[in-house]
Amino acid sequence: MSRIGNALASSVGKKIVMGLTGFLLVGFLVEHLHGNLKLIEDPSGRAFNEYVAFLQGFGPLLLVAELGLALLFLAHVYLAFRLTLENLQARRSGYVVRARRGGSTTGSLTMFYSGALILAYLVKHLLDFRFDARFFADPAALVKQTLAQPGHALAYVGAALVIGVHLSHGFRSAFQSLGVNHPGWNPLLAKLGMVVAFLLATGFAAIPLYFMLSASEGNPS
Amino acid sequence: MSAAAGHDAADSMRITLKVWRQEGPDRRGRMETYRLADVSPDMSFLEMLDVLNERLIAEGDDPVAFDHDCREGICGACSLVIDGQAHGPEALTTVCQLHMRRYSDGDTIHVEPWRANAFPVVKDLVVDRSAFDRIMAAGGFVATHAGAAQDANAILVPKPEADRAMDAAACIGCGACVAACPNASAMLFVAAKVAHLAQLPQGAPERERRALSMVHAMDAEGFGNCTNHFECMAACPKGISVENIARMNREFLRAALFERPTATAAEGG
Repeated sequence: MSRIGNALASSVGKKIVMGLTGFLLVGFLVEHLHGNLKLIEDPSGRAFNEYVAFLQGFGPLLLVAELGLALLFLAHVYLAFRLTLENLQARRSGYVVRARRGGSTTGSLTMFYSGALILAYLVKHLLDFRFDARFFADPAALVKQTLAQPGHALAYVGAALVIGVHLSHGFRSAFQSLGVNHPGWNPLLAKLGMVVAFLLATGFAAIPLYFMLSASEGNPS
Repeated sequence: MSAAAGHDAADSMRITLKVWRQEGPDRRGRMETYRLADVSPDMSFLEMLDVLNERLIAEGDDPVAFDHDCREGICGACSLVIDGQAHGPEALTTVCQLHMRRYSDGDTIHVEPWRANAFPVVKDLVVDRSAFDRIMAAGGFVATHAGAAQDANAILVPKPEADRAMDAAACIGCGACVAACPNASAMLFVAAKVAHLAQLPQGAPERERRALSMVHAMDAEGFGNCTNHFECMAACPKGISVENIARMNREFLRAALFERPTATAAEGG
């Protein structure tokens, strides 16, 4: 195998790629939330539509960015499946009695499941908006119309919370995988991971809640 | 249920043991129940198993096979998962240093072997840990010719680095990290060896080759991947920190980027 192939196929290489893609995806989420919050900042929807138009203004560059983003997701998801399968294989005969000693958390033990839920949600999300023909005519209107339905809105709130659970382990874990573990930084990184998870979860959950509640108040604007 | 006749209840405990029995590597295992009526709180856990085995031998049964050697917490031979915890409930303690006073009269205790495909069961509670030997053989040593012992001050090692290397060198290779890891990963063990040698002048020249070949050997043995649960650190009887895993990740990245297979640093020095 080639040098890069050897490095990437090793257990440590896979960890490093997992952490790196995870970080970049968090970066994407931050910018995505920044764009989406324009829906609440300006209830008329104009600011959000201008933001969408601004992104579309990049033309072919936007397509390149979208392909890059898709690659990040694919690499992250592929490694998640592969690591999970390998880890299941590594202990085929399990313990009769199992006790945790305090290292693992709900977030760390459910990474595969929270990740799978986020993947399922991502497919729904793309179908709801990105691949809906009506999206580019008036994006804000389509968002408002979709999230006014409590079923859709609650699904999005749930997805936001799952992202929070995923990041409660993932953010700190990515630093460790990339080799950052220092007594002077660890307390800050642990707190930062929880803050990032909390802010992204509540930020993303706020948008469907806002549209669902304003629709139920009979005030769709 | 009254205390056993003739014994002070405080000095003697009734313990129910549920022990994994497996006749051989290819045989199906099962939990077997044994009742011990006269366990002293001063016994170590292994002495309690000795008492059980003496009884089994006297009764003509097969004694429970388990690994043990120094019985003073430094050799890394003992390897039992007790009630789901590698080396039992006591922190920073090998099974041989766990004592029955940790338990109460009437307790039921589950005893299982380390479970990982890379550590196949030989018999009962004994597993084959030669995977660790093969990982060590792949680079867990210093191959440079060091010559005769030098003057103590000829090679200066800063105290903080010496301390960190010593902390990593405390690893006794028992495999509790693998047993405790939800993924049966051996990262903490390999990281301890890589970190220990990379931080000392004698080990530093081969640090890149070592990181690559030990990680490669670990992967070849079929251990799981590390997903940073840190259960290993909580179970380690020697308190090896996951900081060493982060260091190994850095060592590996550095080696993957800069190591040159043809020009060996060892021969150059």
